[in-house]
Amino acid sequence: MAGSRWIKADLRARKGPAALTVLAVAGIVAALITAVTLLEDGTNPWRTLFAQTDGAHVWLYTKDGPPASLGGIDGVAEIAGPYRSAPVTVAHDGRRDPAALRAMPATPAKVAHPVVSEGGWLDPAQPDGVVVERSFAAALDLRVGAPFTIIALSGERHTLYVRGIADSADQGFYPEWTPGLAYVLPVMLDRIEPIRGRSEWVTGLRLDDPEASQVVSQRAFVLLEDDLQRAYTWREVREAMELDNRLLGTLLALFGVVGLVAAALALANAAGGRVLGQLRDLATLKSMGFTKGQVALLLLVEHGALGLLGVALGAAAGWGVMAALLGPTSVAPTPVLALVGGTALVVLAAVGLPAWRGGRTPPIPAAPAAPPRGHLSRLARLALLVRLPPALVLGTRDAFTRRVPAFLTAFGLAVPMMMITIGLGVWATLDNFKSHPEQVGQAAALYVRPGKLQPAAARRLAEGDQDVAAVYPGTDVNALAPGEARSVRVRAIGGSALPYPFPVVAGRLYARQGEAVAGQGLLDLLGARIGDRVRLTVGGTPLIVRIVGRTVEPDQDGEVLSVGLDTLAAKDSVPPEYYALSLKPGADPSEVRGRLLAGSAESLDVQVAVNPADRLSVIRVVIVALIAVLALIGLANLLTASALGLRDHALDLAVLKAMGLTPRQVMATLVTGTGLLVVLGVGAGTAAGMSVVTGLIDLQGHTSGVGAGIGRPPAPLTLTVAVVVAVGTALAVALIPARRAARAQVPVTSR
Amino acid sequence: MTAVVRTVNLVKIYQDGAVPVPAVRGVDLQVEPGEFVAIMGPSGSGKSTLVHMLGGLDARTSGEIWLDGKRADTLSESAWALLRRKKIGFVFQFFNLVANMTVGDNVELPALLAGASPKVARNRRESLLAALNLTDRADAAPAQLSGGEQQRVALARALANEPALLLADEPTGNLDSRNTRDVLRLLGDVHKKGQTIVMVTHDARVAALADRVVSLFDGEIVDDGRITRRRTRTAGEVIDLR
Repeated sequence: MAGSRWIKADLRARKGPAALTVLAVAGIVAALITAVTLLEDGTNPWRTLFAQTDGAHVWLYTKDGPPASLGGIDGVAEIAGPYRSAPVTVAHDGRRDPAALRAMPATPAKVAHPVVSEGGWLDPAQPDGVVVERSFAAALDLRVGAPFTIIALSGERHTLYVRGIADSADQGFYPEWTPGLAYVLPVMLDRIEPIRGRSEWVTGLRLDDPEASQVVSQRAFVLLEDDLQRAYTWREVREAMELDNRLLGTLLALFGVVGLVAAALALANAAGGRVLGQLRDLATLKSMGFTKGQVALLLLVEHGALGLLGVALGAAAGWGVMAALLGPTSVAPTPVLALVGGTALVVLAAVGLPAWRGGRTPPIPAAPAAPPRGHLSRLARLALLVRLPPALVLGTRDAFTRRVPAFLTAFGLAVPMMMITIGLGVWATLDNFKSHPEQVGQAAALYVRPGKLQPAAARRLAEGDQDVAAVYPGTDVNALAPGEARSVRVRAIGGSALPYPFPVVAGRLYARQGEAVAGQGLLDLLGARIGDRVRLTVGGTPLIVRIVGRTVEPDQDGEVLSVGLDTLAAKDSVPPEYYALSLKPGADPSEVRGRLLAGSAESLDVQVAVNPADRLSVIRVVIVALIAVLALIGLANLLTASALGLRDHALDLAVLKAMGLTPRQVMATLVTGTGLLVVLGVGAGTAAGMSVVTGLIDLQGHTSGVGAGIGRPPAPLTLTVAVVVAVGTALAVALIPARRAARAQVPVTSR
Repeated sequence: MTAVVRTVNLVKIYQDGAVPVPAVRGVDLQVEPGEFVAIMGPSGSGKSTLVHMLGGLDARTSGEIWLDGKRADTLSESAWALLRRKKIGFVFQFFNLVANMTVGDNVELPALLAGASPKVARNRRESLLAALNLTDRADAAPAQLSGGEQQRVALARALANEPALLLADEPTGNLDSRNTRDVLRLLGDVHKKGQTIVMVTHDARVAALADRVVSLFDGEIVDDGRITRRRTRTAGEVIDLR
């Protein structure tokens, strides 16, 4: 009762700073929620797509139409299909892309129905219409109404017309997930591929409990036995759609945690500063009979309520903005709730310490603050030695007389600076991906598929080009891993004689038949280590290899096993599916591609390799946004610190002026005091960031399956610029209050 | 009759680094109900420390403190706080009003703290402010008041819970003569109504208002004299003392 009266009075007396605290916390929370949602939406479109299309959790590919007993498996709620699906090649703009043509009825299905985003759905009135999955259409640059030429397995050409472009959660995006997906009416598919044996059946199972998908697919395995070609669950689809979400997730979690720490620091600084300013009032309260606990509770409630109000406002604002921008389903509740809960806890913890300290205020109100002990003599001697101006000496003394606030100020700047350094390191790593693709497993810049030509002719053509340094024949096959309800990629490329230059970070490159190198993701998936033998099944043929090294593997979450082409059985490896061309330094891939296409009269299929950094470009947006938030937090900390410093020095200022310092010198004293701490904090933060950045990125690389060995520290120039900008901004911010204080008439009052 | 305050060999030693600085060295003091005791002494004689210890604001090094017949020196900090709420009122040299709260709220605060309902607290505040002639300043901020007014508010606040003991630490030390006179008159008034008061002062003229003057020097009682009153004092006679 008495406490609430006091809180009300205190808040009334400082509406401005209280509002600022609320806004700062709200801003941080809103920024975090926005970042999480944008990332989640940008990197994990699966959730929205799955909800929109009422997707199926398990997809089964069978030779014949599957038995109806699939619906009898426990936990299966609905069945999509079975739909007949035929492999075709889409010829468009001089390139050939593998596609699966899926027969679907004109009336949309109940589950796993594609959602048309442009044009319309299949119409029996126009049997030559085709609906193309959106990522496939984007990759082929197809619009509604465009011709869609396909080559059936028989070699026959058919021209269909794009009626619509649709979103689907049935499979991952093209080209990460091949073949591309297109829908036609069953009558059309029968015309294109009359032979049943060349097609397969696709069945989707929608489950009551998504978590049961592993169990259900195992049951389907048993039920279908040899009939089952392959199967995958929603997890694989989601992972395929996620743009290295694990990498981003760890990154974001890290940024989030540090954002929270920085927010906590800001709040602790604000509350702590307020408590310091109120020590006298708190002592009075105690002399009136407030207990230690009551005072602490009072402060905790007051400042905690401000923080929690900020959290609530920020959450509402972030949620509102995201819902308005991306639609109401865009905000994933779990991370947002976790974020709100986390911030609330952090807020209370951050306020707890100053509250506890406030509670420990001695109850003798008139007790003078212990005079700060300076080390003037030692420092002064040093300063005199180098003939420093007095303002500098006094400022230096100011900076370190109160050690705890000095530490808090420096720390409050060091944490955001450390994060900024890490962010810049991530940026540098992405740049390194681009400038040195061979270090991330992309030695080849072009992939040539023979197309209409004989493989040997294609190879000759490729080798004949002036800019091609080496040609590696290769084939990608899917292999079933023992005990896994899914297939992994086996990439056979190069050979024992001419091994593909994989960036091997542990162990060694394969050197003869039966040896393989693997990405971190595959090692994790199989629980294997370098030196282990693994047994896979490729199209019924066992493939037994010894893993002799680990490569940096950006594809397929690192779940790729790479072998020499001679390790693969001849039936799978001859002729090679493609030729990977590594170019001479400085050569332009698209120029070479143009020459090859022209030289082969457009019959070669030449693709430029997709750099993983291109897919990760969303990280750059996040880095910029987070650097902005971190910079704001740093500045907020600095403002609190300089305000506190001024309060502490109000008396000294009067004395300094009395001693004959000019306003300019007084200002210089104050700026020096703050500036030293700024330089210390920024320096320490940068050093800490530099020391952890490579390891941290490698750790993230490890968890994302790419594997350690990709981290790069930021370039010295970038870092220097960042440090200079940080210190400069901080000094500019410190200058304003210092100027005002230097000009103001400071009365000499008793404390 | 039980003494309101009794100390037995009370000692306070401050530790300044490795050097122990004794502030109070074995004080035996007994204050009877209704007594007005002035504690005098030069700066550093330990008089403020003594009063702070009596109110539990400062912990004693050794010795005993008895309040209303109960041992108080062994109490925890929180227990002291609870005790202060009901039994002890404090008036300080620098008034120590809560700067953010209005005069009215400052006076209501102790009553609310002691568990009185808002209505009771408000009634008590009104009668106190009326008695101290501050009714029209109830909504003002303490900073808008003169020193004398602030000290009167502080006195009202100290008396809000009708404490058994009023401790005053240099209540006039920061006031001009006119305000000193006002505050002393008020102290005299409440004393006449039976309030037990222990007041620290270094001003002999202020101390002369008390029934009994205890002189402290270097932390020890050097003189404890009762002033014999020829007749009942009136407020007006305080002026004669100046």
